[in-house]
Amino acid sequence: MSAREDRAVGGGVGPSVERSTNTFLGDVWVNFKRWNRKAVRNPFVLVISLVQPIIFLFLFTEVFGTVAGDAVNRGIPGISYETYLVPAIAIQVALAAAVTSGVGLVNDIENGMFEKVLVSPMNRAAVFAGKTAAEVFRIAVQVSIILGLGVLLGAEIATGVVGAAGIVAVGVLFSLWFVAFSNVLAVVTRDQESTIIGANLLQFPLLFLSSAFLPLSVLPPWIQTFAALNPVTYGVDAARALMLDRDVMTVVETSVFEGTLNAVVPGVAVLTALAIGLGAVAVTLLSRATSSDVQ
Amino acid sequence: MNVSRHSETPASDPSAAAADADETQRTTTAQRDAPRAIDVDGLELTYGDGTEAVSGVEMSIPRGEFFGFLGPNGAGKTTTIKVLATLLSPTAGEVRVNGFDARTEGRKVRSSIGYMPQETSIDPELTARENVRFACEAYGVPRGERADRTDELLDLVDLVDVADKEAEEFSGGMKKRLDAATALVHEPPLVFLDEPTTGLDPKARNRLWEYFRRINDEGTTIFLTTQYLEEADQLCDRLAVILDGEIVIEGTPAELKREVGGEVLDIDVAGDAHAETAAIARDFEPFADATVETTDEGISVTARSARQHGTDLLVALRDAGVTVTGFNVREPTLDDVFLAITGEPLDEETPDEEGGS
Repeated sequence: MSAREDRAVGGGVGPSVERSTNTFLGDVWVNFKRWNRKAVRNPFVLVISLVQPIIFLFLFTEVFGTVAGDAVNRGIPGISYETYLVPAIAIQVALAAAVTSGVGLVNDIENGMFEKVLVSPMNRAAVFAGKTAAEVFRIAVQVSIILGLGVLLGAEIATGVVGAAGIVAVGVLFSLWFVAFSNVLAVVTRDQESTIIGANLLQFPLLFLSSAFLPLSVLPPWIQTFAALNPVTYGVDAARALMLDRDVMTVVETSVFEGTLNAVVPGVAVLTALAIGLGAVAVTLLSRATSSDVQ
Repeated sequence: MNVSRHSETPASDPSAAAADADETQRTTTAQRDAPRAIDVDGLELTYGDGTEAVSGVEMSIPRGEFFGFLGPNGAGKTTTIKVLATLLSPTAGEVRVNGFDARTEGRKVRSSIGYMPQETSIDPELTARENVRFACEAYGVPRGERADRTDELLDLVDLVDVADKEAEEFSGGMKKRLDAATALVHEPPLVFLDEPTTGLDPKARNRLWEYFRRINDEGTTIFLTTQYLEEADQLCDRLAVILDGEIVIEGTPAELKREVGGEVLDIDVAGDAHAETAAIARDFEPFADATVETTDEGISVTARSARQHGTDLLVALRDAGVTVTGFNVREPTLDDVFLAITGEPLDEETPDEEGGS
């Protein structure tokens, strides 16, 4: 009883109120660590987002290598199908890994961690910044792994290490719109299966109806039309331009920059605009989901 | 329906109203300087679809109290607790938690409370230790204290042996205990426990009760919602009952039981003579003020003179040809309180019937 009175009378506002040592960056770091730890432990994250693209890389080069190589060489002479395909697989990894962002959010909502975080004094923007940073970090690592594997398989990165870093950067930039999109799916459906299905259903049409696996010139006209509107085309073309060190962008014709940059700059510009647009939608939905306003 | 119930309760028992006034008097003088743990004035919360979950809740909880918030499912318990924990913004009313305005000083409220939601909320992919550690970091427990604090809490909830196992493998009871530990990392002066033992077996439940008692003894204010009247009876200093979004009665468990008005005489009868038995009991002279209910086994009579005149009633029943197979006079329980207030028993599930752990 005496302890109780001590606290009631002498405690003022309460003993632990001012002891919080949280900072914005500290909160980002705490969440960054948590999501990285979860990524390593979650087989779904690793298998779906890395192993599947690796299987694609092997199967496509082995099964379609000869045929597709001819088609590729008609447009761009003297390159192997491995070299042509690796930037596309890098983008595929970014796409597949981005899905896990929304899946992670749904899991958090389902197991109550979402609410637990909301009721903690952590800065909410920092919470999402930390989570997204962990996902972007993982995508960068995974794209690097694909590039390494590609080189082992005989692909050549014409622009060397700097170009490789550029491809990783394009991969990360490309992933942002899909990260945002998968979070939108997560907030709207609040259901793990719907989020996975919704995001995965889109993945293959997006990849095949683009410049990822074959040059657009050998594909039917309707695919060429769709590909011009498909973000994957911009990501793949920008990454491929860095890989080959030449302007391979076929859907946007520009010559205001020098050589390779004529493909990279428009691709990056389109992806940035897309990331900002969908990012804004995701942020709006997330802040509505985290607000205490009655719905 | 709501209105009559609400106005009926305080008016029906002048002694309870007097006790209320007494309570207010005492606390205003003792607590003038320190803010109370919880102060709620005219809280209303209406959901977007027009559902009025809470309408006009008043509440004042002094520091150090073990406060119980009772009510059937859907009465507004969780909505109220979510408002107090800043997860929901009130439609109207004043809400102060640890002296902070829940509406404008949300972050200060959040850093000064622990919250254990109804649904167990832990990260199954992290180990027990990592879960507690994450909570330490989330609540800004100073770096140097985190390791000790984590060990201490894992010890408190008996999870030291499985500290480095992923929480996915834990039983329901273990998960609940881990959840409780994560709500206490920052030694909050006020802890919200929303139906913390629902779905647990009696053993796991008793164990949690022990922890809650312990932290309350150490000075922590506890706000507990429960469907289990026994739980409220065992743990709480004071209770409030919410029905359809309004608090209908408030007091210590003993006061609430007194509210029932007497003791309870349960009589079991053979065959289907329930209605007849009830009629005889109602006409029985000494029990003029009594309430008579039929039960599964027979009848239940609540009267001030239940002990004194119980045997007379049994004689009267025998004379009327009713076969009495059993009887018992007992103190009223909170179940009887519920019955008296709401006209129907609280639809609680019996602990023994449930799985868990």
